[in-house]
Amino acid sequence: MRGYTGKLLRVNLSKRESQVEDIPEQLMKDFLGGRGLAVKYLYSELKPGVDALGPDNKLLFMMGPLGATTAMSVSRIAAVTKSPLTGGVAKSIAGGNFGAFLKFAGFDGVILEGKAEKPTYIHIDGNGVYILDADEIWGLDTEETQNKLRQMHGNSTKAICIGPAGEKLVRYAVVISELRCGGRTGVGAVMGAKHLKAIAVNSSGPLGVYDPQQFKSLAREQIEGLRTSPRRIQMTDFGTSYLTLGLEKMGIFPVKNFQEGHLEGVENIGDEALAKIKIKNDGCWGCMTKCGQVRKITEGPYAGAVSEGPDYETIWSLGGNLANTDQGALIAADSICDKLGMDTVSAGSAIGFACELFERGIITKKDTDGLDLTWGNHGDMIKLLEKIGRREGFGELLGEGTKRAAERIGKGAEAYAMHVKGLEIPAYEPRAVKGYGLIFATSNVGAHHMYGRPREELAGKADRFAEEGKGKDIARNEISQAVEDSVVQCSFTPATGFTPESRAKLLVAATGFNEFSDPAYLDLIGERILCLERSFNVREGFNRKDDTLPARMLTEPLNNAGPATGQVIRNLDTLLDEYYDALGYSRQGIPTEEKLRQIGLDWVIEDIKRVIS
Amino acid sequence: MSVRVKLPSVLQEFGCGAEACEVTGKTVGECIKNLEMGFPNIKNHLFDRQGKLLHIFGIYLKSDGIQPVDLDTPVQENDELIILSFIMGG
Repeated sequence: MRGYTGKLLRVNLSKRESQVEDIPEQLMKDFLGGRGLAVKYLYSELKPGVDALGPDNKLLFMMGPLGATTAMSVSRIAAVTKSPLTGGVAKSIAGGNFGAFLKFAGFDGVILEGKAEKPTYIHIDGNGVYILDADEIWGLDTEETQNKLRQMHGNSTKAICIGPAGEKLVRYAVVISELRCGGRTGVGAVMGAKHLKAIAVNSSGPLGVYDPQQFKSLAREQIEGLRTSPRRIQMTDFGTSYLTLGLEKMGIFPVKNFQEGHLEGVENIGDEALAKIKIKNDGCWGCMTKCGQVRKITEGPYAGAVSEGPDYETIWSLGGNLANTDQGALIAADSICDKLGMDTVSAGSAIGFACELFERGIITKKDTDGLDLTWGNHGDMIKLLEKIGRREGFGELLGEGTKRAAERIGKGAEAYAMHVKGLEIPAYEPRAVKGYGLIFATSNVGAHHMYGRPREELAGKADRFAEEGKGKDIARNEISQAVEDSVVQCSFTPATGFTPESRAKLLVAATGFNEFSDPAYLDLIGERILCLERSFNVREGFNRKDDTLPARMLTEPLNNAGPATGQVIRNLDTLLDEYYDALGYSRQGIPTEEKLRQIGLDWVIEDIKRVIS
Repeated sequence: MSVRVKLPSVLQEFGCGAEACEVTGKTVGECIKNLEMGFPNIKNHLFDRQGKLLHIFGIYLKSDGIQPVDLDTPVQENDELIILSFIMGG
């Protein structure tokens, strides 16, 4: 054993068959694991033009080389597929415990093909892989599903599953393990389209590594560092709720569907206020941070609501975005999304979109099943969430995502759909941090806050309002994120002391691959992954025209947003040119032949030539 | 004690307009208070309504390396305090 198990489980749901394959060592060295390795398989095996919700799409879950070891915060799992929201590549990273136990069972990853004739789940244990009827769990929410699987297969059963939203093909349905989602880009809908409810596993560790003594010493060092890290302590105490008040003051916290940047009463959903209703911490397998804040409402109309969260993105999507500062409603809404299995960001964005249409008279109560979508009316917001998750009434339309919903509504609704490539924009106002604007525009998975971060601007070392001189930094940050997602390390780890140097040492001790000790080698892998994702999208017809932002960001000065008031993005073209130049793409955003050869993607050249000829 | 306070770019427009401002004080807390007195707008962006430092900022002392400090920490002549913004969430 060398960090990797070296095995991929391939399941054909149409034929109800499975087989175990070796993962070539060169692929591990070229693509690392997690997101990178999964994207390689997806690109190689998927023909362009496949329906994301059809049987020919493939869904991969893939661990990284440090997963299920004694190192901290490296046991999340990557989910990769073709997105039902964007039609391009999709990636999502899930926490929980499923990934570690999949690896204990002997698999670095699973690739799911075809479509089962009827609702199905997969069970893996020491005796084999079983493809079973899901009659007893289809229709259950995500908590009920995991509880039922434990009843059926024993208390030690770990699972990843979808909820009713995935079964009903809400395009932004999630996959969930324990209470942790693979949230964005619609991977849960792809699983539901395959009639696959869950993958359950019974297994135990430990896994071997290449140099056990060295690995043990490095892991111990990591744990000691985390114990006293102020940032780790802050994450344990507050999770990412610590961001809300500060970002609102800076005009970065979007309010009312990105119409403005100030939220009256935001303190009620700030970190200190939410800490008062916290009952315990929760977190992913193999992580001592336990950043999950489990909160409970004990009084008022939402008494009894419990949720592991909300985190910053959800505080925004179901809070600030909807002008909702009611704690009870926020916890209840977060819980509904988790149980039904929907992305809180896209769901909240869809409701915010509907609220703005309601405000402008484009839709009325006749269209909304009688719901009053006035800003801040959290009671009706909660009802609408349930409808979306079950695709009932007006919820059926919003379950398509804002892009498709706007196309169906017409009457100028497209102007109020805040998405890029079909994926709804998350909790960072692009006009207030323009590096985020560039990331959202160029991300191959659509507007995603974890495709890269504008680190220089967020650290206060670069001017967040500047519209030039950012392309190189953003390209580099996206490359970094690709490496992180392929190790599948938690993205909070860099701030808590997990440096590229300590990561490299752990990778070498785990795998014995000395190549991983060279930061430039890992950066090359990151660039290769980014370029392969770009090539996947080019094959699907994407180019520069798709690397854009909603007109609101490009033409409307930001309103009532503190120091960011009046900001608008006027020079996106300049930023795009810088970004493409930094990555060696043409000015149409297409990887050049020279770049593809330089990073070892020669085999992609003919595909790109076919598209551009 | 005369101390240099280095600000993140998001706060510079509320301070002396430069990357760093000179203040006096015997502790970190005094230095920050004097910074606010000299540049009142900074208070609203550094602290919440209860007067607590917003959690997206951390204050560090540059001596032998960079160490996090709290408001009671004493400072020496010509020390450098660095206020960093920490924004990373999901």
